[in-house]
Amino acid sequence: MIALAVLAALGPLTGPFAAACGARARVAGLAQAAGAAVALGCAVALLVMLLHHGPLLAWNGFLYVDALGGFFLLTVSGVTLLAALGSVGYLGAEEQRGELSRFQVRLYFTFFGLFASFMLACFETGNLGLLFVLVEASTLASVALVGLEGRARSLEAAWKYVIISSLGVTIALVGTLFLFYSASALHLGSNLGLTWPFLFAHAHALAPQSLRLAFLLAVVGYGTKVGLVPMHTWLPDAHAEAPSPASAMLSAALLNTGMYAVIRFLAIARARLGDTYPRAVLLSFGFASIIVGALFMVRRGNFKRLFAYSSVEHMGIIAVALGFGGVLGLYGALLQVLNHALAKSVLFLSSGDVSLRYRTREAEKVSGVLAAVPVTGGALLLGSFAVLGSPPFGLFLSELTIVRAGFARGSPVFPLLLLALLGLAFVAFARTTAGMVTGPPVATPSPYGDRGSAALTAAPLVIGMAALLVLGLWIPAGLDEVIRRSIAVIT
Amino acid sequence: MQGLSSSSTAGVLLDLCGVLMLLLAFACLASKLFNRYVAYYGAQSVVLSFAAATTAVAFHSAELWILAALTLAIKGIAIPVAARRLLVRRLALKRDTAMSTGLSTSLIAGGALTAFAYLVIRPALLPHGTVAAAVVPLSTAVILLGALSMVVRRHTIGQLVGWLIVENGVFLGGITLVSTFPFIVEAGIFLDLVAGVLMMVVFVSGLTRQLAGASAEELRELRG
Repeated sequence: MIALAVLAALGPLTGPFAAACGARARVAGLAQAAGAAVALGCAVALLVMLLHHGPLLAWNGFLYVDALGGFFLLTVSGVTLLAALGSVGYLGAEEQRGELSRFQVRLYFTFFGLFASFMLACFETGNLGLLFVLVEASTLASVALVGLEGRARSLEAAWKYVIISSLGVTIALVGTLFLFYSASALHLGSNLGLTWPFLFAHAHALAPQSLRLAFLLAVVGYGTKVGLVPMHTWLPDAHAEAPSPASAMLSAALLNTGMYAVIRFLAIARARLGDTYPRAVLLSFGFASIIVGALFMVRRGNFKRLFAYSSVEHMGIIAVALGFGGVLGLYGALLQVLNHALAKSVLFLSSGDVSLRYRTREAEKVSGVLAAVPVTGGALLLGSFAVLGSPPFGLFLSELTIVRAGFARGSPVFPLLLLALLGLAFVAFARTTAGMVTGPPVATPSPYGDRGSAALTAAPLVIGMAALLVLGLWIPAGLDEVIRRSIAVIT
Repeated sequence: MQGLSSSSTAGVLLDLCGVLMLLLAFACLASKLFNRYVAYYGAQSVVLSFAAATTAVAFHSAELWILAALTLAIKGIAIPVAARRLLVRRLALKRDTAMSTGLSTSLIAGGALTAFAYLVIRPALLPHGTVAAAVVPLSTAVILLGALSMVVRRHTIGQLVGWLIVENGVFLGGITLVSTFPFIVEAGIFLDLVAGVLMMVVFVSGLTRQLAGASAEELRELRG
């Protein structure tokens, strides 16, 4: 089991290895995808074993995987696989066209693999100090991806990203310190005392005052990585400037990693402080994010920025769901994590294909994608509907669950507000993407050298949409079990 | 660190270190020369390593000794020297003019933030008489001042130094709040810091070059 866990985290390092050996975009990308597939396989195997044997705890708590960690492992390794497949075509085309040098391509795969590995490792540690180290390391690895293209704008976006995220995560470290301090009554002597399972099991002995501060600082700190308003300012720039498969990783994997850390702190805070305080904190950050995300989506312009604001909105929805709490709220939140990750991967990867073909990231200049490139256009259209929560896709189900959780918790004000904001987001978002997909097609040459690359670009779009459709119609029994176990871990 | 009272020798020394670090953070906030930013940061890190050494003596902890040595070597010497060589000298930077507020305004804001730091750290949070109650407000103030200088300065190097000062504040709070942090985690935090600084150095020089190139481009266009 330990070997499986380690392999899951180290799997994506095949990409950096191939890049170090001097492989070109195609080979390095395929190696990256193979590594991600290994990680995904290990995550599934690990989950099956976790369901049978309970959580894995080893190495003084430095290695700790429970159902919640396994669920996030599954989500992020799946996203990594989709993004790695998308990278083959995207980076290959950029390399062929001379937009990126061979060195930049190697840099890309080096940091892509490291980024994925650090994130996967986040879900496998119980030590909250190490969690901080890994989250910060994942920030640093992804910064290189944002600034890869080396233009003034991408460098600026990368700078903004690294400085805001590093500061945010440092605040989370202060929160972690206060959490440890709140446990002084427990006389933490060994490393085991600094782990999440220990602190959660002994939550009743934590000092409430400093725990309160610790929770707030952790939400602000890790919330910076999640992209909660008002700490979201790095997010649209970074998502818009990174190469599209890297944007998919940022939106669908990195934000979830931050959310995972928030969930861990939330569980401890709920266990000691009761429901009111954590709920107030999460609902305020969550609704602020939904409102700002929805309002900024109204503006037309760069379509990758649009998707980025939609991520802000969705992270807000997840925060609200966590705030509603209860089994229903947590179930909706976790389901939303998975569905949003799939939908955003599809959207960002299809936006990569669009920006390669049309050589622009402005929505105004793109029209007729559906007629010109049916697969990408279809993915863009269906992906938009999916991300907006229309049936029959998975997000409909998860958002419905969240709204139901809101009504179940008493006051109908919050769920009604949520529904209204979702409606606003729907109109704002669909207006732009519908304009891109429909209309007269523009003749665009295929940016890919051969049919194989084009097929590889289409593959993650089809896989992602199929998964979303399945999750909208029916939740597999295994997944349901995993989510229920995850909820049992944190309540 | 409940065992250490604020009136013991180690407690007094730690308190003193905290005050010195706060003063150096203020000095950094008040200066306008890139060289000074780096120098004040270096001095602050040396004081921090002294604080770590003090705790190491008080707790007879070999790990804290290593930590103090690492702080001195990396934060006190390596980062300031590298920042001066790779950034300030190579990019020929002298005077920072990109500030969003005047110096006096930012100093007044800094004073207000320090007062705020004392206000929020209540006895209910940290009991009186412990060294943490004396030092944590100071470290909080250092964190806030570092964040303030990140906000006030528009130049990337100013922001980088601001972040490093925030890190120093967190570290000071860390050694007084939790002395039992596992070494591997501390080492990881150090690694992150070094990697972060390297990454930022690359971006600072890239950005400065790009911007210099852009302005030269504009000049050419105007002439033509």
